[in-house]
Amino acid sequence: MSRWFSGALASGPAPVQEALAVEDGLREAMLHLAAREASMLEGQVNFLTPEMLQVDSLVREAAGTLEDALKTLNRSVLQQHSLAREIQANLSISLEGDAHSGKSDSIGNTIMGTLDGFVNHMTEISGSTVKLVEQVEDIRERSRRMEDMLEELSEIAGRTHLLSLNASIEAAHARQFGAGFAVVAGEVSKLADRSTALSSTIQEQVLGTRQALERTDAHVHAIASKDVNVAMRSKGESEALVQALQTSNWIVKDLVTQLEENAKNITQQVGHVVRSLQFEDLVHQTLMACLKELGNLLEQAGAWKVLESNLAAGQPVPLALASLEARLGEIEAARVQFRAVKSGSLAAGDVDLF
Amino acid sequence: MGHCILTVDDSSTMRQMITFTLKGANFEVLEAGDGVEALEVAKGKKLSLIITDVNMPRMDGITLVQRLRALPEFRFTPILVLTTESDASMKQKGKEAGATGWIVKPFSPEKLLDVVNKVI
Repeated sequence: MSRWFSGALASGPAPVQEALAVEDGLREAMLHLAAREASMLEGQVNFLTPEMLQVDSLVREAAGTLEDALKTLNRSVLQQHSLAREIQANLSISLEGDAHSGKSDSIGNTIMGTLDGFVNHMTEISGSTVKLVEQVEDIRERSRRMEDMLEELSEIAGRTHLLSLNASIEAAHARQFGAGFAVVAGEVSKLADRSTALSSTIQEQVLGTRQALERTDAHVHAIASKDVNVAMRSKGESEALVQALQTSNWIVKDLVTQLEENAKNITQQVGHVVRSLQFEDLVHQTLMACLKELGNLLEQAGAWKVLESNLAAGQPVPLALASLEARLGEIEAARVQFRAVKSGSLAAGDVDLF
Repeated sequence: MGHCILTVDDSSTMRQMITFTLKGANFEVLEAGDGVEALEVAKGKKLSLIITDVNMPRMDGITLVQRLRALPEFRFTPILVLTTESDASMKQKGKEAGATGWIVKPFSPEKLLDVVNKVI
């Protein structure tokens, strides 16, 4: 029996007319209250239900968009990671050698090695050229001395010729006693002439040799000065080029390292996004629990409506109230307070292995 | 041959996040939206692990664990429960049903992979 009904009985007997008037007033008030309660509950439930469903739908849509973005982001990161690895592999093969294949030679080292070899070779040639210049100078000096000696020889021949002339004159003065001497003087003169002619020929040859040596000397000097300069300049330029390439290589390597670091950070952030995106499920479950409660409120509104119709049908107020109380009790008993989501934050939950 | 993992959750977002995490670690992943679908998907498959939610329509996760344990091919397959439920009583139910472990949502990818690699 209703507590209200029991209370009404406990209040003591009253005159019938007065009691009827009170009941009519009470019925009227109850009718009004029941209608208002049912309407208010229904109104609130009808307002909240679509609102909550809309929240659920919006959250789901937002989560879907975020999921797509996350997948695209992840693909881009993986692609970036793969590109960075490819660039790094190519760089190590091109300028620093391939560490994986065990090759320590790099293009940079090879270029520098080749250049060193080339410059060393050119330096050796240059050294040989300098020696050649010295030897040419030595031959030229010897030629000059030979010319001097030939001049002396020519002078001796001239003097010999003069001597033979004087001997011929002296032989003529001695007449028949000098006839033999005249023959000897004539032969000496002939020899002096031949010596002079030979000396002239040798002098011409030596002069030609000296001129040829001077031309050779000029050429050798030109080569000696050019090859070392060109080689040194080429080496300097190539060294600068290799240095620039290596610097560029280091910069690219540094950039690739930064890219990889960046990719790692993004991957870490993707992990946070994966964890945070689960809010959709948590919100959905929370909303579903709220909607269940709203369904419960709707059932309460139904109970109040039944009260309204019972009172309108003329059912005694205490009976109608007892019926309402019984119905509300049933609803309360059947109500399952379901709170699936306990977590108040998006921090990762516990793990328990059995 | 790589490991094949079945993930069961009525939330498509959760399935996507689990699949995303596991595929990133080169696992093959199958999906089901509830216990009934999970039993259909699992039929005839060689699964290395099953990850299931608890609160799902048609068949909840605890019932699914019991049903799977009754099948000879999944008697010893690791089953992880991934749920928002953190009540000790519910966890006990999961343990009694035959679950291998209990993970409370939300999960972090590293933690999930860590547990997966432990139980597989």
